[in-house]
Amino acid sequence: MARNGLRYQVATKWQDSFRRFNQREPGISGLIAFSQAWDVATEFLKPRNINEPLPPRQYTQAVRAALDVIHKSKRLPTLIETFLSQVESLFYLIQQEVDQFMIEYTADLDVGIISKMVYRVHEWMKEWTPATELGAAFQSVYINFFQTHLFSILPESFSSAFKDLIASTLAPEEEGEALKQDHQIWSTFDALGFIDRFESLIASVGYEHIERHVLETCTGQWGEPMLTPTRDWMTAKIVPWMIHVYGRNITSTEEARAMLAGVGSRFDFHMAKTLCDLRTREIFDIIIDFPDSEGALKDLKECLQRVDQRAALVQSLRQAHRKRLLHPGADTKLILSQYVATIKCLRIVDPPGVLLFKVADPIRRYLRDRPDTIRSIVANLVGDDDSGDALVDETEPPRPLQAAEIEDYSDPNWEPEPIDAGPDFRANKPSDIISTLVSIYDSKDFFVKELQILLAQRLLAAGDDQSDKVEKERRNIEILKIRFGEAALQVCEVMLKDMTDSKRIDQHIQSQQASVIHPAIISKHFWPALESSEILMPGQLKELQDQYTAEFTKFKPDKRLRWLTHLGTVDVELEFEDRVVEALVSPLEAAVIELFSEQSEWTLDDIAKRVGLSQPNILSKAVNTWLDLGVLASAGEGIYRVLEVSAGKGAEAKDHVHRPTTVEVEMPPVVSVQQQQAEQMRVYWKFIEGMLTNLGALPLDRIQTMLKFAPGYDRTITQLAGFMEAARREDLVTVRDGMWKLNK
Amino acid sequence: MKVKIKQWNAVAQWRWDTGNKDAADDEEGDVCGICRVPFEGCCPSCRVPGDDCPLIWGECSHVFHMHCLLKWIGTAASKQQCPMDRRPWATAERRVDNAPPPTT
Ligand SMILES: [Zn+2]
Ligand SMILES: [Zn+2]
Ligand SMILES: [Zn+2]
Repeated sequence: MARNGLRYQVATKWQDSFRRFNQREPGISGLIAFSQAWDVATEFLKPRNINEPLPPRQYTQAVRAALDVIHKSKRLPTLIETFLSQVESLFYLIQQEVDQFMIEYTADLDVGIISKMVYRVHEWMKEWTPATELGAAFQSVYINFFQTHLFSILPESFSSAFKDLIASTLAPEEEGEALKQDHQIWSTFDALGFIDRFESLIASVGYEHIERHVLETCTGQWGEPMLTPTRDWMTAKIVPWMIHVYGRNITSTEEARAMLAGVGSRFDFHMAKTLCDLRTREIFDIIIDFPDSEGALKDLKECLQRVDQRAALVQSLRQAHRKRLLHPGADTKLILSQYVATIKCLRIVDPPGVLLFKVADPIRRYLRDRPDTIRSIVANLVGDDDSGDALVDETEPPRPLQAAEIEDYSDPNWEPEPIDAGPDFRANKPSDIISTLVSIYDSKDFFVKELQILLAQRLLAAGDDQSDKVEKERRNIEILKIRFGEAALQVCEVMLKDMTDSKRIDQHIQSQQASVIHPAIISKHFWPALESSEILMPGQLKELQDQYTAEFTKFKPDKRLRWLTHLGTVDVELEFEDRVVEALVSPLEAAVIELFSEQSEWTLDDIAKRVGLSQPNILSKAVNTWLDLGVLASAGEGIYRVLEVSAGKGAEAKDHVHRPTTVEVEMPPVVSVQQQQAEQMRVYWKFIEGMLTNLGALPLDRIQTMLKFAPGYDRTITQLAGFMEAARREDLVTVRDGMWKLNK
Repeated sequence: MKVKIKQWNAVAQWRWDTGNKDAADDEEGDVCGICRVPFEGCCPSCRVPGDDCPLIWGECSHVFHMHCLLKWIGTAASKQQCPMDRRPWATAERRVDNAPPPTT
């Protein structure tokens, strides 16, 4: 039974097929008709060489009938296959032309050749395209086949040539015509399947174009934000181009929106990244230019929110600092002002302060090791900075110093730390610049001491009327009190009071007995350690002192005066036979010349005895002042004589009888805090030396622990480190892998 | 050559005249026996030295910051005695040396 059933099925199927071939015509007449139809159809479809004269294809009644026969016989797939193999066999024609075009292009590098080639290949494709009447499926199979073959015959060099052609569609603005003119080339690209095939290559052309534009228009342009104008440019120039590339099938505004959200945002990201990279490379100079570079900083802030380049920014800035800022050739003032500018700039870029924290650390460390950092900061604080570049904005009201705060979780404005903060990051509460600078050091005491020294120098510096200056200093101190606290600046308060009291006392004494000497009478323990020296004043100088002292004692019977003769200035007028010389000099210099009014020749040794000065170099300097002024002349080894008549220029000098000469007066020799620190630290050197002798090499913390046993030792490990570093510079010790050892 | 001093902006320190003429001028100076602060400094309750925080002399020849001594005398424990020698405190007349004070 089963066998019979199977046989029946096969027979039915065969007859069915045959009927189809035979087009349900009687006998085999149908079969003959099929063969004719096949010939008509294949002839109609046959791909032709477009270089030969071609009669137009006619979709005639006969063709239609033939195709109908083939369709009814379900032989259409075979017809398609036959057609495609004919296409394949003619493809060498296209290949020959493509090869020819490529040779020409290689010689000329004219993208016009490639565009001609594209159009030409498209002509071939169109010529061979099966008539629409054969149905969309037929056409799409053909197109696919054609494209696949086309890609297989394109030489390797085509992609770069094609890239050049695409680039020409984004030609520089002045050639904007090219863009419109080539409108149809995009539909040709699309027809040939190039847009899908070379999608990433086309995108890269867009990216490169954006990069070039950003670099050309934004490099060094920091004043205004460039992100918005660049986005406007993208809208005007890149979006229309993108629509050619990606928007060819777009029919609705929703689709357009989706396209821009996808592709558009990729291009926008690329633009932001390019700008971000550029600003990252430029950051050091942007900071130098601040506040004229605020635009660039705002851009950077926005870019960093879009592109995660924070680590790269930190890296770039740290590297620039290492190379351009933190080296011995850079002035401390410059480092400070760049640090302050960095603080201000990074606050714009990254308000939570994580970037600043990471960038600032090496600067702070470097500044801490510089000997004149405190002095520079303090000089700037009191407006004694000749650079005129105040680190602090005048507009910023002075605030008390802020210590690093402990996080307050109950603060309603508390925010968790940013994820890249790192474990050392201290929640950086908005802190003013001065607090930030002062916090470079462990203690603000250094600053107060330095401030005191600076104030002393300024108050004791020469000047006719002190009261204005004192008033100015008083205002300064009032402001600084707000920062450093009233108590810390009490000594400065006393210093200022000494100045006012001195003035009052002087007024009284002058009213009793007029004198040319006007002393600042200072309170010993409230002024910085003024280097003392014992210069004995000769002649009229001594008389002036004694008269004044006598009057002072009458006025203040319970007090005595002790003259600090190494400080202050004397305005002297020297009258010679032929000239008058006026000079502003130190008391020692005045003392020296006073001696020469007693007798016209002195030896250096005798001068030293008279003024009670044992340091010959200081004395020589004083004598040199007068040699330079042409008042004294050398009269043998260590012997000097007054030039009563100007040397060699007697006549000339007479013409210029009154010739006031001013000598630069040095600042009073005041010992700086760091010097003092070093001096005091020297006391402990013998302990360190002993310990390193007995125990060999030691790490710093070990030295610190052992020094704590030394009487009165109260230094921090940082101070010790500074001292050891100084000792190393003096070759007393060496350090290796953190182990300190005596240098023998 | 004649030297004419037109103006001299000098610097000087004041010291209390404690009558201790032997003390070398550059020595650190005496301290108040009560607060251990130099006489030219000021007592713990003052912030400005000098006339605002004067000294007081005892007949026993001891000298203190006046504020320190008064505070001390105000305590019951003092029994109105000099804290250095436990003799009854008697303030001496301000001693004014008629001889010109030593100067440098
Ligand atoms: Zn006292
Ligand atoms: Zn007092
Ligand atoms: Zn006593």
